[in-house]
Amino acid sequence: MDAALLEQMLLGALLALSVYLPLGCGQLSLATPGFYAVGGYVAALLSTGVAAFVGSGATSPLWALLAEMVLGGMLAGLIALAIGGPVLRLRGIYLAIATIALVEILRVLNLNLPFTGGAMGIFGIPQPFAHAEGYVLFTLALLALACWLCQRLEALRLGRAMAAIRDDELAAASVGIDTPRTKLIAFVASAVLAGVTGALAAHFLNSWNARAGSFDASITTLAFVVFGGSRFWLGPVIGGLALTALPELLRPVGDLRLILFGAVILLGPLFFPQGLVTAERLRALGALLGRGRHRSRQAPQAP
Amino acid sequence: MNVGPLQRVGTGLLSLALLLAGCGTDDTNQAVDVAGGVPVGAVLALTGNANVYGQDQKVGLELALKQRNGSGGINGRPLKLALEDSGSDEPGANAAFTLQINRGVLALVGPTLSQQAFSADPIAQRRGVPVVAPSNTANGIPEIGFFISRVSAPSSVIAPMAIAQALKIQPGLKRAAVFYAQDDAYSTAETTIFQEALKEKGLEPVTVQRSQLNDQDFQNQISAALRENPDLIVLSLQAVDGGNLIRQLRELGYRGLIVAGNGMNTPNIYPICQKYCDGLLIAQAYSPELDTPANTAFLKAFQAAKGGAIPPQLTAQAYTALQVIGEALVRLDKRQPLAGAPLAATRQQLMEEILAGTYATPLGEIRFTPEGEVIQSQFFVAQVRMDPGGRSGRFALLK
Repeated sequence: MDAALLEQMLLGALLALSVYLPLGCGQLSLATPGFYAVGGYVAALLSTGVAAFVGSGATSPLWALLAEMVLGGMLAGLIALAIGGPVLRLRGIYLAIATIALVEILRVLNLNLPFTGGAMGIFGIPQPFAHAEGYVLFTLALLALACWLCQRLEALRLGRAMAAIRDDELAAASVGIDTPRTKLIAFVASAVLAGVTGALAAHFLNSWNARAGSFDASITTLAFVVFGGSRFWLGPVIGGLALTALPELLRPVGDLRLILFGAVILLGPLFFPQGLVTAERLRALGALLGRGRHRSRQAPQAP
Repeated sequence: MNVGPLQRVGTGLLSLALLLAGCGTDDTNQAVDVAGGVPVGAVLALTGNANVYGQDQKVGLELALKQRNGSGGINGRPLKLALEDSGSDEPGANAAFTLQINRGVLALVGPTLSQQAFSADPIAQRRGVPVVAPSNTANGIPEIGFFISRVSAPSSVIAPMAIAQALKIQPGLKRAAVFYAQDDAYSTAETTIFQEALKEKGLEPVTVQRSQLNDQDFQNQISAALRENPDLIVLSLQAVDGGNLIRQLRELGYRGLIVAGNGMNTPNIYPICQKYCDGLLIAQAYSPELDTPANTAFLKAFQAAKGGAIPPQLTAQAYTALQVIGEALVRLDKRQPLAGAPLAATRQQLMEEILAGTYATPLGEIRFTPEGEVIQSQFFVAQVRMDPGGRSGRFALLK
């Protein structure tokens, strides 16, 4: 498999995790591409406008990328914090519509601000890595970190509170969980992750424009989570990886590929309404792996 | 929930990804593989909102391939073209470029949109693969690097000619209204050029109206513009939105001249604005009425394939792009055989060969600047003439 495609897949997985976080406490937020675009613009503007971020060598310095990711994540997080209060009072489909509006507002802003390059966007973004393999290793580390944090979350008070809100918000509030705060934290964490991913993607894609954060992208990232499953972090990761890879892997079928891709998206939820990854399937898989290991451990004792 | 299986699956996933990442390709020591033909790639927008352009271009590439292989290929060996769809977005173009480069192609034709070129061309530049762009008209494309060139003249050269022609037809023009799609790179780039050209002719736009690429209803913008009583309307829009806007303009009573940019330079607008397309002025980099042997041969091939239709500019430019690569390959192969030569060095030499040549193409005679910008001797301004039924028409060349 090609490293550039793998990088796309990993970025898809990160975005899927960003959709998964608010969904983990029952909030259907489609704002991820908006924050992704914001993070990308931060990286694109800094790395093309500030001499120190460009560096002098063949590749731009790694610290610059890290700084852009931190700043991109912070700006996205601050926007989320500012609007999260009023927006998160909405529920279900109303929240979804409000977040679609947010993505649209950010898109039109990005098209019309004097420094974002209009529809052409910003191009000639310097490269921190000479090859796509460098991006893959870096993104893999980031994804591993994000997955580890999501895994940790399950054991934390915050994660339990999120799960409680997802299952029944009224009941959660009645046992003393600060539901507005918990939802806000999940929303901001989602924005930060999307912003960080955007900063990285801007370098990888060489150019950045307002189309990074569009309504279409909102739907695609939501499909990652619906397809993969929204209960455990592994679901969105697998959904993001698979659905990003699929259109490329289907290239041999030629003109039919987008039809097949659509069919997969349609059939996925039909046959796996909870997504590919569910508790039962994980347990079954774990048992299978465990049994294999158990058997191999016992083997030397055989006569 | 049990943590064990999750972690195990996660570790498995990560190690799988690492394994895949390790399988990166390294083409530094590769040789040119001519089994089945001399490999050349194309990346076009065959799906997504730019697909009408990509379909036109595909026809051009197929004709050029047939022409090249019908006249001896690359010194007896056929030219082998691998075509990939880029969709109409940047990640799609990047993926298709990388795929083609990993296949070991010697040169690439594409991508369709300037926006895609800004994203995908740096990949080809880094990997040292010649790119001949058939339809990128934004400023700054050849400047991406040594390996990037184009056969599509930039809008800064072509667009002002249509304004000049409008003034020739109707010298008393005073009030110009400008329309463009603010979320489209081509549209915003071209409208700046149009507006500068208007100012140079003393025609400061009385109003500038913005729309979105996917808009279908332009009543608001049109009413706002018509309140200013314009006598010239200048559009930088793509085929679909532009065609709809023209229809609505005429239906709402505008009778004056309309100048359109490169986005509407395709017969695909006929079914959209139908009889209302009539009279539309467009500056072109290609005219089917150009009387040269190269264009006559192209016209004949196109009409044989398409049942007498008139080839659009995008088809002629795509044909030209592959013709340029084919002729450069023939010359390079004569000097030093391609088969088995080191891939990286051959790509470099091919780029030098492309830039050094002069080509008799359907667009007229073309050359390149050392940067890779096309030098084209002739441009044209055409006026759309619709048939009485309003179903079909032609671009009539204005002298």
